Amino acid sequence: MASSDLREKMRKKRRALQETLGRVREDADTQVLVATDWEMSKDGERTAVQEPSGSEEQQVATLKQTLKAQRMKRRKKLVEDTPAETPPEAATGASEVERGPRAGESRTPVAAASSSRRSPRDLPPLPASSTLTLSEGPMKRRMVEKLKAARSKAESLLQQEALAEPASRLQGLRDRDPLTRFDTEADLGVRRRDDGAAPLVGRVTFREVAHRGWRRAEVDSGLPTAEEAYNFFTFNFDPEPLEEAAEQKKERRFVEDRGVEEEEEEGGGGGEEEAQVEDGGEGESGSEEEDKEEDAEGRSEGAPLVEDQQGELFIDETAQDFLEVKKAEYLGYHSRVQRESEVLFTPSLRTVPTSCKVPENMQPRYLEEEGLYVGERPPVSLANQNILENRILQQDEAKKWFGDDGRVLALTDPIKQSSTRPPLFNLEEDLDPALQTVYRKALKTRHASRYVAGLGETAGRCQLDVDVSGLIFSHHPLFSREHVLGVRLVQLYDQHLNRQHRNITGLLTDKLHGLRNAVRNITDLHGDRGLNVVMRQRIAEYRLEVRNTRRLRDVEQEKDRTLLKSTLKVWKEMKALREFQRFTNTAYKLHLRKQEVNQSRDEQDFEEEIQMELVELQGELEEEYQRKISQYRQQLEEWKAWRKKQKVSSKKKKKKKKKKEPNEGDKDDEDEDEQEEKDLGSEPPKPEPPERQELSLLEQQVREKAARIRRKPGEPILVPEVTLSGNITPNEQCPRGEFARREDVARRSLFVKVLYNDKEVSRTDRRPLGADFRVHFGQIFNLKIANWPESVRLQVFEASGSSSALLAEVFVPLPESTVLTGSAPPQELEFSSSQRVTFNHEGVGSDVPFSFEADGSNKLTLLTSGKLSCCVSWAVGENDIPLAPPTSQTPGGIHGALRQTDAIACIGASGLSDMKRLSKWAAESRLDPNDPSNVVLMQLLTVASSGEVQVPDYFRLEQLQEEFNFVTDEELQKSRRFRLLTLRSQEVVEFRNYKNVPAVEREVSEKVFQDYEKRLRDGEVVDTKEHLDPHRAVVAKYLKKIRESVMNRFLIAKHHFLLSDLVQEDEVPSIGVLGLNIFKLAEPKRPLKPRRKERKKVTAQNLADGNIKLLVNIIRAYDIPVRKPHPSKPAVASKSARSFTEAFVAAQSSQSALHGNDWPLNQVQVRPFVEVTFQRSVRQTTTADGPNPCWNEELELPFSAPNGDYSTSSLQSVKDEVFINIFDEMTFDITEDDRERGSTVHTRIEKHWLGSVKIPFSTIYLQSRIDGTFKVQSPPVLLGYSKERSLAGEGGYDSVLSLSEGSFVTLFITIQPQLIPGESVREKMKEMKFDSQEDERLLHAAEAFQRDAALRFPGRPCLTTVIDISGKAVFITRYVRPLSPPQELLDAFPNSPQEATELVARYVSLIPSLPDSVSFTSICDLWSTSDQFLALLAGDEEEHAVLLCCYFLAMGKKAWLIIGTAIPEGPTAYVLTYEQGRYLIWDPGRGQYYGQYDTFCPLQSVGCLINADNVWFNTQVYDAPMRMGFDVSRSKLWKPFFSRAFPNPGLSSVQPEELVYRRVDKVAAAELQDRIEKVLKEKIMEWRPRHPTRWNRYCTSTLRHFLPKLEQSRGRDVGDEHRLELQSMLGDYRISGFPLNVPFSELQPIVEAVYSTGVHNVEVSNVEFALAVYVHPYASNVLSVWVYLASLVRTR
Amino acid sequence: MAELHIIGQIVGASGFPRSSLFCKWGVHTGGAWHLLSGLREGQTQVDCPQASDTAFWSHPIDLHYATKGLQGWPKLHLQVWHQDSFGRCELFGYGYCHVPSSPGHHRLRCVTWRPLGSWQEQLAQMFVGGGPQLRSPDVIYTGADRYRLHTVAMGTVELELGIILRHFDKHGVES
Repeated sequence: MASSDLREKMRKKRRALQETLGRVREDADTQVLVATDWEMSKDGERTAVQEPSGSEEQQVATLKQTLKAQRMKRRKKLVEDTPAETPPEAATGASEVERGPRAGESRTPVAAASSSRRSPRDLPPLPASSTLTLSEGPMKRRMVEKLKAARSKAESLLQQEALAEPASRLQGLRDRDPLTRFDTEADLGVRRRDDGAAPLVGRVTFREVAHRGWRRAEVDSGLPTAEEAYNFFTFNFDPEPLEEAAEQKKERRFVEDRGVEEEEEEGGGGGEEEAQVEDGGEGESGSEEEDKEEDAEGRSEGAPLVEDQQGELFIDETAQDFLEVKKAEYLGYHSRVQRESEVLFTPSLRTVPTSCKVPENMQPRYLEEEGLYVGERPPVSLANQNILENRILQQDEAKKWFGDDGRVLALTDPIKQSSTRPPLFNLEEDLDPALQTVYRKALKTRHASRYVAGLGETAGRCQLDVDVSGLIFSHHPLFSREHVLGVRLVQLYDQHLNRQHRNITGLLTDKLHGLRNAVRNITDLHGDRGLNVVMRQRIAEYRLEVRNTRRLRDVEQEKDRTLLKSTLKVWKEMKALREFQRFTNTAYKLHLRKQEVNQSRDEQDFEEEIQMELVELQGELEEEYQRKISQYRQQLEEWKAWRKKQKVSSKKKKKKKKKKEPNEGDKDDEDEDEQEEKDLGSEPPKPEPPERQELSLLEQQVREKAARIRRKPGEPILVPEVTLSGNITPNEQCPRGEFARREDVARRSLFVKVLYNDKEVSRTDRRPLGADFRVHFGQIFNLKIANWPESVRLQVFEASGSSSALLAEVFVPLPESTVLTGSAPPQELEFSSSQRVTFNHEGVGSDVPFSFEADGSNKLTLLTSGKLSCCVSWAVGENDIPLAPPTSQTPGGIHGALRQTDAIACIGASGLSDMKRLSKWAAESRLDPNDPSNVVLMQLLTVASSGEVQVPDYFRLEQLQEEFNFVTDEELQKSRRFRLLTLRSQEVVEFRNYKNVPAVEREVSEKVFQDYEKRLRDGEVVDTKEHLDPHRAVVAKYLKKIRESVMNRFLIAKHHFLLSDLVQEDEVPSIGVLGLNIFKLAEPKRPLKPRRKERKKVTAQNLADGNIKLLVNIIRAYDIPVRKPHPSKPAVASKSARSFTEAFVAAQSSQSALHGNDWPLNQVQVRPFVEVTFQRSVRQTTTADGPNPCWNEELELPFSAPNGDYSTSSLQSVKDEVFINIFDEMTFDITEDDRERGSTVHTRIEKHWLGSVKIPFSTIYLQSRIDGTFKVQSPPVLLGYSKERSLAGEGGYDSVLSLSEGSFVTLFITIQPQLIPGESVREKMKEMKFDSQEDERLLHAAEAFQRDAALRFPGRPCLTTVIDISGKAVFITRYVRPLSPPQELLDAFPNSPQEATELVARYVSLIPSLPDSVSFTSICDLWSTSDQFLALLAGDEEEHAVLLCCYFLAMGKKAWLIIGTAIPEGPTAYVLTYEQGRYLIWDPGRGQYYGQYDTFCPLQSVGCLINADNVWFNTQVYDAPMRMGFDVSRSKLWKPFFSRAFPNPGLSSVQPEELVYRRVDKVAAAELQDRIEKVLKEKIMEWRPRHPTRWNRYCTSTLRHFLPKLEQSRGRDVGDEHRLELQSMLGDYRISGFPLNVPFSELQPIVEAVYSTGVHNVEVSNVEFALAVYVHPYASNVLSVWVYLASLVRTR
Repeated sequence: MAELHIIGQIVGASGFPRSSLFCKWGVHTGGAWHLLSGLREGQTQVDCPQASDTAFWSHPIDLHYATKGLQGWPKLHLQVWHQDSFGRCELFGYGYCHVPSSPGHHRLRCVTWRPLGSWQEQLAQMFVGGGPQLRSPDVIYTGADRYRLHTVAMGTVELELGIILRHFDKHGVES
């Protein structure tokens, strides 16, 4: 029964259990799934898992192990998962469970744990006692079933997992496994550990646990929980059961048995429950089997371990050995605190008593209370402070951290109270103007001449307001006489009003009274005795003041009086005039208002005043007298002392001379000493006693003065008043003259042009000139400014009808940038004009004398004048921003202001200068006066507030700079080294190329600056020594000054670089060029006609000394003079000069006939060679034969720039010239012994100068090459040579050739490497716009004309405007004007105009030539007018040409200026004349002329022709003079500038009306002649240092006589005669010599020319020299210098 | 009497929104400084970098100063400008840096800024170029009131300066 009941119960329970199990199973399933998931994620952390078992390198090797371990873990997780739900205490237990099997720990906790491991969901454990006995069988069975199911499920899951594992990888890894070293090692390690048999125990233990689980389950509830069951079955430590299963089948069997045995053994030890299980569970056997199998597997691993069979198997277990999981160490809080408290110090929070902080026995001291400034400390919380103090006190020397007041030392709070950036709500409005940003469009830079420093940024933002309000004439040509007087009246009246307004007289009178009162008060108060020194001093001062004031008052009174008088006088005159002319023109009326005065009172005042003055004067005189007396006494004393001394000395001299002085002094003062006065040289004058002035005289003077300057007593005060109330007579009633005048006035109107920077920007409307000669404009012009303002000009124009004329110009001062529109006061600017205007009506005219008197005396000459009232100010833009350019504000200003940033922030930067606001601010902000940061401000305020100290006018930038200076300014200035460096960087000429500046001060010698200082000092002093002629010296100075000013003017342009200046870039060949080149390939090659190729250009900066060479290619020469047969034979015969001459003439004529026959046969005509001299280096060609030699040689000459400066400007100013001299080489047989003649050749070579060509280096440089045939400048007379013209034979060419005289040489000169000439600057100048006074329209037309010309004929020079010497562009025709040449030139040949013309040309050519590029380095061509040219006596071709052209015009010729190119000058100017049906081309520089068809004319091309009226541009195909026509009237050939469309506006000339010539100064010329001769002789001797130089006086004097003749004939047609003369005189000598003719500029060129002829090089021992100089003066100091140089060799 | 040599170069600029930059520079000193030689201001060429965004100028700076005091030690102020494809120039940045006071070779990086302007101006700048500029460029190196400005950071200018001091030690300035 009971059993059935029990069964019932059991069934129920079973059912319940079943339910739970089902539930649990599901639970477990999900958990497994979860676990696997977790495991998968865990895979990622494999390394972390591995770490205990091996290092990373062994990762691969241990992978297998790891996998196994994972597998194990995975299984373990299932165990762990469950406990995860249990409370943490259980978790520890659970971990111990895990650990248990390995570490072999106690089993008891496991049981405890397993019991407690139950999840909350589990059924509560049944009371074991009640159930155990009865219902074991079925229950067991069921349980087994359940377990089976659970297990199979778990297994299947496991298998799935195993499958899920990448088998192949595992396989691969496993295959490799045994090979790895680690494995063996691990095995070893494993084995070693296995010795301890712990794993075995573990295994066993595990089983035990399992069993115990069983047991407990049965004990506790009879049922194991699903988890436990599952754990039990799945907890497999063997990761590889399947693999090894087959192998170990047999073993397993055996092991199984053993395992069973063991189980049984141990189980036996376990207790009876197990037995029960065994007994009652037959049905269980299957499951048991499996169970056993499991166990066997586990043991199969354990077993071999025991048997030591298979090492690999142990790996699975050993992973656990590397790891040790420990509990987190934890130390209790209290213990820690305790431990720490031993080490640490915690300062207390309590306030430290002050006594601890200050030194012992001291009271804390509070500086604030003592009135010292103590800054505010940074805020620190009290607690923190206490902590700090407590801590510090623990330290050594703790006290030093505390101040006297017992607080921790601290700096004042550095943080500003207010935020530096206050909130800005409306940003746009209150922004400081200095900080405002401007939105600027992205704009192209306009790089015209806008080089305005400082303006660049704000260009275009400035606006200038020009307010032209009106003008009043103070005189106008149309004034009638009455107007003149009226204006004068008004002026006087204005003056009067002005004076009245200022009332100086009244002020001074009041002052005088005041002063007098003060003096009187003092004397009254103190009486006479009580005056101390101070008082007396004060009285004296007062008196002085009174005196001064009185004088001033008198002056003013006098002025008042005279003003009144003259006003009255003018008014009277006016009235008289009105009466006389019977009409009134002006409305002026003068009223005199009388103010009656009290007669008696007035008189009294007057008298009082006079008495007062008298008293004062008396006092002054007395004072003066006293002073003089005392002075006199003193002098007398001195005199006496001197005399005594004198007496003593004179006594010693035995009284040589004695003489009584007349007694002239005061008897009382003089005593008997006077008698012995002596008359000696150094006697001081005996003083005279002063005299007293008469009192009565004084009074008279005072009264006179008072009568003159003051109103008489009782006279009424007159107050003048000018009104405009008068009536003007209407026009109809006026006489005709006046009527005409008024008509004229009505016609006139005025307007004002506003010129800004010399450009007209606007003009006012026309306003009629009123009858009162006032014009109101009232127009405001707003000028938007881009350029820096330089000038604002107002031009007043007067227009009558349609024409207008400039009346006057007014320069308006540029306003300061603070002068703004609205606040600027209008200015009255006076203007006047010196124009002469006369009328035939009543108008008085201007600059015309007229008189008011009937007899015409007392003439007046009035000029047009007036006042223009205008106002120029800077505009104010929106937001009240001044549109002014920024003042050049020194940034230091802001600097200094920065010190008071606070103040600035408060009242703004501008407030700083406002003292009031500053002090107000200071008061408001309660500045601490002791705060050091406020010192500056406080000082400023005290200075400002106390009136005693003056605020300094200056503003010091860096106030503290002085204190911190290393050195003073003077010392810095004194430093020579710094000075040198600065000068060098400023490119001062002397130092520009100073390469190395010494590093040490003392190495810089004082001498370095000597030259420079001398130059500075001598800047003004004219040095006459260097220049032979004082006038030239002055000119040179003047030239230099002009040059400097011009340099400055163009400095800007020099800094303006073009791209081509900086980048040198080869042009990319275009298709066209390529095509041309291809065609060139097809061209016939002419190897025998080589051509010169263009070379690459080199910029100047890469050059150094020795790099540059001058290449001179001498090709050939024509018509070299040939030697005359040495007249030794005829000379013998000559006895008398007369007969000889005749004979010789005959001989010569016959000789020329002979030439054809015998000369070429028996004698060398000439053996010329060319010598090139440049910069004192000489190269020569080989010697050729004959008069038409061909050398074709290239000579190289080194070139060095002055000062080693190879800059463009420097190269351009090189003044050196290349001398190309042609010499004849003569050989003389000097073998003395005839016997040696056969064996030795002993000859001497002499060279004889035949002629030269001079080419300035600057020409070569600018043209880069010179190629052509040049006329050789040969002397008019060449002793021993003659021109053989007809010699060359006959033929067409010869006939052409014979037209020209002289020899020619063909040259090619260039510079190697090719330098880029400074043309870039010139080009730039073209781009630059010059100031010009020319009409705008004309300038435009000129520009267009030039552009057109350049387009059509590039390279053909065309000039329309040129730059005059002041740098302004002037239209070129203005330069041409007939100017008469000096009269003596015209008088010289009264009946031969041809001669006179040539003489004039010669005169012009004698003015020295100085290329502009030399004088005005690389700047531009400047054209000076002819008077300037004559004053300067230097100029280049243009000036010569202009002057010559002007002369020709004056002489009635048709003359033009040719602008063209010539060799060697390059672009140049020639003169063209039309005479007798043919055109002549004049070379103004040489004074020669050529026919149009002359082959050797140096003019190569003609660009344009210019005369006074027009400019014609050459539009012909050819520009060579030979191939063109010069008829300018043919419009096909010449294009005129002024045409019908654009007529000549009648340009006035810039030339003077006539040239003033200075008289010929013969004396000076003679003097100069002597000096030149002396200098040359010295030089020649200097050049012959090794030989004695003898001078043949006889020859010299002959030559000297001859030179004037040469000058007269201008060096022509005298050769033969002269030669004969010479020959006759010096028959015994072989003479070679020649006269040189140079225009005189300086001495150096003459010396240079003489040197280049090489006459001094004759080295024969018996050579003698002859030198004669002749200076022929022409008008205006133009000098022609002749130097005759000859060498004489005695022939026997 | 002490002397200071500043020898170096403005290497280039980087980090600007667009390339094709040039730079205007100047040296500002106090009153105690005298320029013995060299140029105290200048402008570089426009560099349009092809490869990277760094514009290289390699603009030489060579200054020699003599001074009588330390106040106003030279500072370098820079303005970086951009030239766009139309050849128009617009401001890209202001910057300034002190010339180092220790001798030797220094590499400086000077960061730059630019006024921002109102949104209208920004918009305009985006489309038509240009941009706000300081009215008075003094503000670049004087700091007063600059807080009122709104600025944008622009790129950096790189400088290499070699500093040579002379005789500073004589006057008690150790270097």
